[in-house]
Amino acid sequence: MSYATSPPRFAESLLTFVVRDADQRDAMIGDLREEFAKYARRVGGPKAARWHWRQSLSIAMRYSLMRLFRRKPPVRWTISMASMEADGSWYSGMTRDVLYAWRAIRHSAATSAVVVVTLATALAANSTTFSILDALVLRPYRFEGVDRLMVATIGAPDEAFFDRLNVSAADFREWQEQSRTVKAWALYRWWEPNLSGVDIPEQVPGFEVSPGYFSLLGVKPILGREFLSDESKPGQGHRVVLGHALWTRRFASDPNIVGKSVRFNSEPYEVVGVAPPGFSTPDGSEVWAPLAMTGEEWANRRAENLGTIGKLADGVTVDAARTELSGLVANQRRDHPDTNSKREARVLSFTRGMADPGAGPFIGIWQIAAMLLLLIACANIANLLMARGAERSSEYALRLALGAGRGRLFAQTLIEGLLLAGLGLALSMPLLAIGLGISKSGIPVSVRRFIPGWGFIRIDLELFAVTALLGTAAMIIFSLLPAFQAMRAQVSDTLRQSGRSLTPGRQRQVLRSALAATQIALALALIFASTLAISGANNSINGVLGFDKNGVLTAQLNLPERNYQDAETRRRFINDVIEAMRSIPAVSAIGAVNMIPAAFNNTSRRVYPEGRELKEAEARTAEYRTVTPDYLTVMKTPLLLGRGFNSADRVDTTPVAIVSTAFAHRYWGDDDPIGKRFKLATEGTWLTVIGVSGNIVHNWFVRQDQQVYRPVSQDAPYSVAFALRTIGDPKALAGDLRRAVAKVDAEQPIAALDTLEHLLDERVGGFAFIARALGVVGMIAFALALMGIYSLMAFLTAQRTQEIGVRMALGAGRWQVIRATTRRALAITLAGLLIGAALAVAIGQAMQSIMFGLITTSFVQLTVLVTVLGMAALLAAYFPARRAAGIDPMTALRES
Amino acid sequence: MAPIYLGEFEYAVLLAVLHLGEDAYAVPVRELIEQRTGRPVARGALYTGLDRLEAKGCLKSRMGDPSEERGGKARRYYSVTPAGLKAIRATHDALSSMTRGLESILEKS
Repeated sequence: MSYATSPPRFAESLLTFVVRDADQRDAMIGDLREEFAKYARRVGGPKAARWHWRQSLSIAMRYSLMRLFRRKPPVRWTISMASMEADGSWYSGMTRDVLYAWRAIRHSAATSAVVVVTLATALAANSTTFSILDALVLRPYRFEGVDRLMVATIGAPDEAFFDRLNVSAADFREWQEQSRTVKAWALYRWWEPNLSGVDIPEQVPGFEVSPGYFSLLGVKPILGREFLSDESKPGQGHRVVLGHALWTRRFASDPNIVGKSVRFNSEPYEVVGVAPPGFSTPDGSEVWAPLAMTGEEWANRRAENLGTIGKLADGVTVDAARTELSGLVANQRRDHPDTNSKREARVLSFTRGMADPGAGPFIGIWQIAAMLLLLIACANIANLLMARGAERSSEYALRLALGAGRGRLFAQTLIEGLLLAGLGLALSMPLLAIGLGISKSGIPVSVRRFIPGWGFIRIDLELFAVTALLGTAAMIIFSLLPAFQAMRAQVSDTLRQSGRSLTPGRQRQVLRSALAATQIALALALIFASTLAISGANNSINGVLGFDKNGVLTAQLNLPERNYQDAETRRRFINDVIEAMRSIPAVSAIGAVNMIPAAFNNTSRRVYPEGRELKEAEARTAEYRTVTPDYLTVMKTPLLLGRGFNSADRVDTTPVAIVSTAFAHRYWGDDDPIGKRFKLATEGTWLTVIGVSGNIVHNWFVRQDQQVYRPVSQDAPYSVAFALRTIGDPKALAGDLRRAVAKVDAEQPIAALDTLEHLLDERVGGFAFIARALGVVGMIAFALALMGIYSLMAFLTAQRTQEIGVRMALGAGRWQVIRATTRRALAITLAGLLIGAALAVAIGQAMQSIMFGLITTSFVQLTVLVTVLGMAALLAAYFPARRAAGIDPMTALRES
Repeated sequence: MAPIYLGEFEYAVLLAVLHLGEDAYAVPVRELIEQRTGRPVARGALYTGLDRLEAKGCLKSRMGDPSEERGGKARRYYSVTPAGLKAIRATHDALSSMTRGLESILEKS
């Protein structure tokens, strides 16, 4: 019987599929056929066929299992599928493919170089941004157990700002007692002492913390110990842990410092420990003292000045803790309506809670820009690769005709892409190092201490992995496009087309045109965003501030409570320094204020206007300033109505205030505010408005234009900033100001002595830097987009050389040729610009909402950009077209 | 070089290849093992075993000529390499040293 001699075909196909080694496969199938023949003679065909099936399945299964679990040779399913057509083993095919790909890359060296450089630039920009985002925003804290920590605080319902230091002691005590989701708490409170008893006194940023604070954060002092629970009792708190930077800077890294006494605020403190290098939590702290609160302080529900950190109980999520604390805070709202009625729980993970609310969005915008750049680069690369794929389509067709498998061609294109990605990756690493170096030097030193995670900005292995992944993914995706086209190509079609065709395949053109249009659109959006950011940064430094920052010298200092408890002594100190400086001819005006604009802190008070019964929780806040009579003159802040303060405003006369225009407008609308009264505390004294000043911007990151000014003579501050308007360079007077302060009080340090201009620059320095970085990203994007248009047009016109030759031979003029060839570029450019403009407006709106009043989406700006970009794109298309028009028709026709 | 450890099945396969000499290809190898040990041998196990032994360097193979009987497919003939011989001896020695002194028990049963 004939069927008895032929074993089941399908079973053999199965074996063919599973067994990679050709010899082994043949031997195996042969063996089975041999035995099948014997078996069939004995028991008949159908039974033998079943037998063959069983054997084949068993062999296939065992073989697959062996290949899965055996280490050597490795199992490469995808690639081996691709080179299945090859009769040899997987290895030989692979090596051949790599060699072939390398030859192809070298063959078109220019295109390959452009692809590699484009990819490297985009990857470097993206990775630079990502490493900064990662270090500063995503993972600024990297100690063990950081993911089990959370930050809880209180916010008002209408407040977007996450104020970490906003919990009252009495509220906290109840949380501590009742919370089941938090197993340990740490507390901290702002404490900025003067380091005295040394040559130059210094104000040190510091915090009072509860015992166990350091161990909760996983920190062990490098010398000594942290605070004991006894030391948080009132009267026992005169101990400090020094920050590593302070210890190095002011105590020459004295290894025997533990147990010694140092002076803060003119009082002796015993050093019990030194923190490890780099630890400056929270907020750039350089010294820590025990938080020693009295029973009275613990019972205070009014003062909201504590920061909390909680360690979550095992298996509890931040969300669960938030739910529980929201419940507790809701109870407190009910039980203490007079103080708590507007308090809401805010609970965030430690990393998010301790982050600077400003930095995240900014760096986020930068990251988005870098991602867009990567997209543009990918589009560009895809375009170049497709152009090359098109050039090689006849080669592909020929190889297909000669019997090469489609999978094989596909694999080769893929390998080519991977090789290019590898080269791009190698080049991006040095670029990344340069980018990170520039970024790190771009942020002002004074800002750095407030940036946790600063030290983590560096190239690390994870980053390398992310970069490698991005690069390879991008390359694979975009090598596949031409590979798919190569696979789909019909041999006969392509061969015919590459013979005497007029224009290349329509489908391919559409895809490439879409890519070019995308590039233009993204570039336009990016450049628009970066110009917005740059003008925003410019506005924040040079825009409407409400005062004149030029030619002003400032000195900020804090008077210690111990020596200056009496308001009269503070007043005398301020007046003595002012008098000493007034005699200097270069000083045209001098004043003092409690908070100079652009200072890192701020003070606000709740406002209770007369005639309205407001509860504490309902009252809105205004920035609170106490000033000397000449302060507004020094700052050139205009006095729009009424009068300024003068020597007639004393402690024993009517309490008076000057308010900003926005303040007057909020509380009294269009009424004349002069003579109106308000209070700054529910039990405070009535203050009478005597004048209205212009609004000022203290800090761009907080939307606040409400200011109240009070005379120093009626409320003398502990925190003092002198402001001197000078003739000539303000810095020249720094020595005089230092001496004047030292003459009045030799123990009194000056925390910061700087020009107002520089102070502002530093405050917005990070922002300005990011704006500049965005600008760089935008420029690269622009260059890439132009390159994309140019390469597309150059390619398209080159493809149409023959057609152009025919047209010219038939009498077409130079301009007709140029018009015919650039028509397509015009369409692409217009489409790209249209989409880009829509994108740009959307991005502008988003940025406007993040950067408050600084940024306005300007349509004039957008129009200018669209025009410039459009012209540049058309120019990029014009050059190839002109070259095409310049060719000799005969040469063009002869070209194959 | 330390001798290669052989499992029981691998040991049997190598011995069968030795027995068969010039004619050692998968079909007779399997039949011989089944005959002598009285245990069924799965073809899949045999092929993976042969592969493994070849990868270890105990066997080498050559392709024979295609034959009509096999539907135009060639036989793959195996022969034991010097390393394979060494492995057989090492395994044999190890097993016989384990059985030394137990002859009286082993002979009876």
